[in-house]
Amino acid sequence: MYTIELENITKTFGKHKAVDDLSLKVPKGSIYGFIGPNGSGKTTSIRMIMNILYPDSGIIKLFGNEHLGSRLDNVGYLPEERGLYKKMKVKEILRFHAELKNTKNINSEIDYWLKKFDLSDWANKKVQALSKGMSQKIQFIATIIDKPEIIILDEPFSGLDPVNSEILRTTILELQANGATVIFSTHDMNVAEKMCDFIFMIYNGKKVLDGTLTSIQDKFGTDTIRIQIENGSKALKEIPGIEKITDFGQMQEIRVAKEIDTQDMIKAILSKTRVSKFETTKPSLNDIFIRIASPEEKEVQNA
Amino acid sequence: MRKIFILTKREFLTAVRTKSFLIGLIIAPIFMGGSFLVIKLFEDKVDIVDKNIVVIDHSGIMAEPLMKVSEERNNEIFDPKTNEKIRPAYNLEIIEPELSDPEQQKLDLSQRVRNKELHAFVEIGPEILHPGEDRDKYRMFYYSENSMMDDIRNWISRVINNQVRKLRVTDLNIAPEQSEDLFYWIEVEGMGLLSVNEDTGSVKDAKKSNIGEAVAVPYILMMIMFMMVMMFTVPLLSSVMEEKTERIAEVILGSVTPFQFMMSKLLGSILVSIIGSSVYIIGGIIAASQLGFADSIPYGLLPWFFTFLLLNVIMVGSLMAALGSACDNSKDAQSLQFPAMLPVLLPMFVMFPMLKAPLGAFSTAMSLIPPFTPMLMTVRMATPVTIPVWQPIVGLIGVVLFTAFIVWVSGRIFRTCILMQGTPPKFMNLIKWATRG
Repeated sequence: MYTIELENITKTFGKHKAVDDLSLKVPKGSIYGFIGPNGSGKTTSIRMIMNILYPDSGIIKLFGNEHLGSRLDNVGYLPEERGLYKKMKVKEILRFHAELKNTKNINSEIDYWLKKFDLSDWANKKVQALSKGMSQKIQFIATIIDKPEIIILDEPFSGLDPVNSEILRTTILELQANGATVIFSTHDMNVAEKMCDFIFMIYNGKKVLDGTLTSIQDKFGTDTIRIQIENGSKALKEIPGIEKITDFGQMQEIRVAKEIDTQDMIKAILSKTRVSKFETTKPSLNDIFIRIASPEEKEVQNA
Repeated sequence: MRKIFILTKREFLTAVRTKSFLIGLIIAPIFMGGSFLVIKLFEDKVDIVDKNIVVIDHSGIMAEPLMKVSEERNNEIFDPKTNEKIRPAYNLEIIEPELSDPEQQKLDLSQRVRNKELHAFVEIGPEILHPGEDRDKYRMFYYSENSMMDDIRNWISRVINNQVRKLRVTDLNIAPEQSEDLFYWIEVEGMGLLSVNEDTGSVKDAKKSNIGEAVAVPYILMMIMFMMVMMFTVPLLSSVMEEKTERIAEVILGSVTPFQFMMSKLLGSILVSIIGSSVYIIGGIIAASQLGFADSIPYGLLPWFFTFLLLNVIMVGSLMAALGSACDNSKDAQSLQFPAMLPVLLPMFVMFPMLKAPLGAFSTAMSLIPPFTPMLMTVRMATPVTIPVWQPIVGLIGVVLFTAFIVWVSGRIFRTCILMQGTPPKFMNLIKWATRG
């Protein structure tokens, strides 16, 4: 069963087509990662799912039905740009959002979440006294305080330190374990790889990737060699069949051309330099993202 | 409705917790009441410092009568019962005109006024008795530091004119005792209209019209409406703009529709303005009753007043919310704020001409233009004049329709602009957003 369904969604702003014929099905209880470069249409797609923007054409269904123009209580939304009333106290603003979402046992929920995010001491402080990270946590609590069935998070990890990112990550996984369907957009490919059941990439308004990480990687094949060699990437420059070299200093990542066998490539490298370590692998999500979102020629030149 | 209620509650609590609300609602009436009290306390406390006045009499005929009248007046400056001084004495000094250098003479006197030796000096023209063709020869001038507002100027004018009339009558060889009636001035007193007492069926006497009914009641009602709209709708522009620029709007829009969001802001304004105006009206009724103006309280007008206030708040408030949603910075907001305030500003400018002729074509036409109807129809209805029954009804229908239109337009602008960044709120853009959504 699909919790969210998008069928041929198109949205245009003036002459700019922000989302072009997008279709997507988000299974119940899954975590769906939205990735894509800035301005590719992630936020517009999310806003359309939230009914904040209306598509020019196409159908959006939540829980199997269209809800054009209405807001569902069991959908939590954390926008990319955070905004809280600065003069309200933390507890007041959480109560305000909880009431808007028709939350039960508001006081105990507020206490539970403030304690979980280590914010109990700030309950009676005004929002304007909070740090950016704290505000972000408050905003997150406000999004999920009513335990929504659908949670839509636009860049939830941006601006958070590693400790808070980890708390947020585990909380999202807990919510998923309790049955919530989660959509989140991110620029952090590591997070997407580790957390998402499905990954969807949008580029110039069009869907370019959609599926599990494995299925996406399978499309690109085992064309990547991670290697540790003497003299760094210099030794690799003249070897034919290398499409792209990413030099990480201590280690290099090579993308091998489709017609070249990775075993032959390793032999070619061994003939040029000493290899201390190597591994053949599928491309990372980060690599796939860059392959789609930036011209190849430019990448090879920059390597 | 539940979500609108929750948002309205937040708007309401935010508004009533502000200092401006407390100042506007509590301190302003106290201040106003205090000024009434001060006026009441000091209304008998007139200036009783004697006034020295020099008269330059070019006519040569005014010295004696002026001195005589002032002496008569000076004999009455004490209360005969308490012997307390109740008014200042006017000590006149008549001097000969300095014909060789009149300007120097007046300059010297001016200096004496500045030095507080004199209160004022008067110059009487030579041909005051029988004005000729040269206007400068029969004019009178009163020189003082504040001559326009000085009551003594009117007193001198009255005394001299009375004396001049008497002398003219004497010139006609009419005996003074025969001419006394000539100077008896009878005022036309302003009265209201007679009516029938509904309980007894008898004719009720007309009330003497007073300044309170003619000016104060319409003025106060209009000022209350003006203050309520200014205090509780104009801030919507900046608060919506803040919610937009601080990105609060998108968070809220995750839970409520733009219409619910805008309506809750309007309802918040309506609530605080009705509470605010009720405080003023109730305070006004109590104050008027205490001060003896209970008969002047227009109870029948109050339902109209609140209806028009409600519509005015919705009309201006929705416009402010829409414009706030279209603005990205305070500069944009400032440029749009003034035009949006016209429905409450313009009536303030035309109020006084309307009070003079509430039934005139200008008044009627202005009060039927929907943006101005709430304030101007209230003003016209608050005057003692009876407005044709159809006019408030037609005005009300016009305002209801216009307000509905403004809310619709504002809703479209609000919905389009609340998440839009970087597009300036130019007039043509506003039209585009309103028409295309």
